[in-house]
Amino acid sequence: MSERRIRFSDAQAPMLREIGDVLDVGVLSVDEALVITGWNRWLETATGKRAAGVIGKPLAVVEPNLRPAARNAFEQAVHGSTVVLSHRLHGYLLDIPPASGIDGFRRMQQSVRILPLHSDDGATRGAVAIIQDVTERVVREEELRVAMEAAQSANQAKSSFLAAMSHELRTPIGAMSGYADLLGDGIFGPVSDTQRAQLVRIKTVGRHLLDIVEEILAFARIEAGREEAHLADADAVAIAREALVAVEPLVGRKGLGLRADLPSSPIHMRTDAVKVRQILINLLGNAVKFTDAGQISVRVCAAPDGATVDFVIADTGPGISESDIRRIFEPFVQASGSFARTHEGTGLGLSVSRKLARLLGGDISVTSKTGTGSVFTASLPAR
Amino acid sequence: MNLDEFETDALAELFNVGLHRAAASLSEITGQRIGVDMPRLVICPITEIEVELTGLLGGEIATVHQMFGGAVAGDAVLLLEQDKAAALAKLMTAGEAGLGGRLDQSAREVLAEIGNIVLGACLSGFGDMLQTPVSFSVPRIHIESLKNILRSLRIDSEEVQYAVIAATQFRMSELAVDGYLVVAVGAKSLARISQVLADRIP
Repeated sequence: MSERRIRFSDAQAPMLREIGDVLDVGVLSVDEALVITGWNRWLETATGKRAAGVIGKPLAVVEPNLRPAARNAFEQAVHGSTVVLSHRLHGYLLDIPPASGIDGFRRMQQSVRILPLHSDDGATRGAVAIIQDVTERVVREEELRVAMEAAQSANQAKSSFLAAMSHELRTPIGAMSGYADLLGDGIFGPVSDTQRAQLVRIKTVGRHLLDIVEEILAFARIEAGREEAHLADADAVAIAREALVAVEPLVGRKGLGLRADLPSSPIHMRTDAVKVRQILINLLGNAVKFTDAGQISVRVCAAPDGATVDFVIADTGPGISESDIRRIFEPFVQASGSFARTHEGTGLGLSVSRKLARLLGGDISVTSKTGTGSVFTASLPAR
Repeated sequence: MNLDEFETDALAELFNVGLHRAAASLSEITGQRIGVDMPRLVICPITEIEVELTGLLGGEIATVHQMFGGAVAGDAVLLLEQDKAAALAKLMTAGEAGLGGRLDQSAREVLAEIGNIVLGACLSGFGDMLQTPVSFSVPRIHIESLKNILRSLRIDSEEVQYAVIAATQFRMSELAVDGYLVVAVGAKSLARISQVLADRIP
């Protein structure tokens, strides 16, 4: 391998100077004693110092404010080392004001490479610094940083607010339900049939409210990055059966059919069964909510390579339009059009389900045709 | 071609001195205390690097790559896991680079400087030992998979090629980052290193 050195002869020097003058970077060369031997046109423009006035003078004289780290970098380079000075750690090499129109910096921010120079016989003859003005880029990065921090802060505040409010709501809902139970049990005196029916309504509405609060809490936990997957050995078929049991009463109430296509033998997974069940109950609950006639079907199958397990939930609901299908996994969104907010719920179910699926290393996809129905597939890693 | 136990220890000591010199330079630049662990050394044929590093480095890897020449010649790479590299750049710049765990342009430049200092300090040890200077190419940053990085290692010769892998840990504040230096050299360079090390062992 050839040595990584910049070699040139005296005869090549004028040509190299001409090349240096057309570059959009500063090119500053020094000899072994750190006396300036080259100063290109870019440096003339940036510093206001003409090459004729600086060549032949020591760098320390031309740049009296040269900092120890910069001087040290030149010393290393003339002894054969390649040196990198990043603007984030050093700011600048030469004390140059920034270009006009740039606020926030007193000096041009510079990214610098200093390379040793050798004559064509291999002898060290100094070093060359390539200086790039990165001030504009730094300003843009700074703006981006401030915007990102503001967004993160706002997001955290939102999650904290949701979590705090949900806790505040859950406690009185629990109390309401408890008092309704006590009244229903006749603890405070006899209860008529009419009163008992109203108490059942209070409990039903309370349970529904609690479900919504739980959904918001789950969303807040995920958004705040506090949701964790607790992996354990599980059976995908058993998880699907449990989810089906949970939604059977809902399906029955709407007079829908429920078809389960489950294998007779277990499909082993290493996953968080609680979260998989929650995903399935959400998807099944949605299917029931949006379907007024026909049936809901569930299929569980392992991929041929055994790497993933697919939970497929199909309904005969109104379907989702192409424009809505891109938005349905966003939080607080339900399919728009004639169904906008005609169905109860927070609009968080699908968003939470997808986030949970991704937390488990999988994802949820959907295919749908307006007027025919929708098919949601939760594809989760088996191991 | 391989080094015996004493030569390997002596080479590890050479890397250790270089790493501590690099840590001292980085501490001075950043004004923060940066520590390094005594490196663990493995010497293997270049074809076995992947086996040695698999399981130690995962996902996308950030590398600083410099070719070197002189008394010994070859290809040197510093490898860090991408997210750890971003965290290191972020800590070193008091949060100004590597925001959101990304290796943005500023973080890449900081990483280039870190790599240049670390690789330069370690490989200069070879030059000092052989009493001839070692010269380096400009450092290049790459983000890619381990397999692609190893494919890009290059030595301009047909001879059998070896890799010296030095595994260490950079420690700074609450952050500990595993770093791997891979120095690929030809058989002649390794033989020369081995000879000089053998001469130095009492």
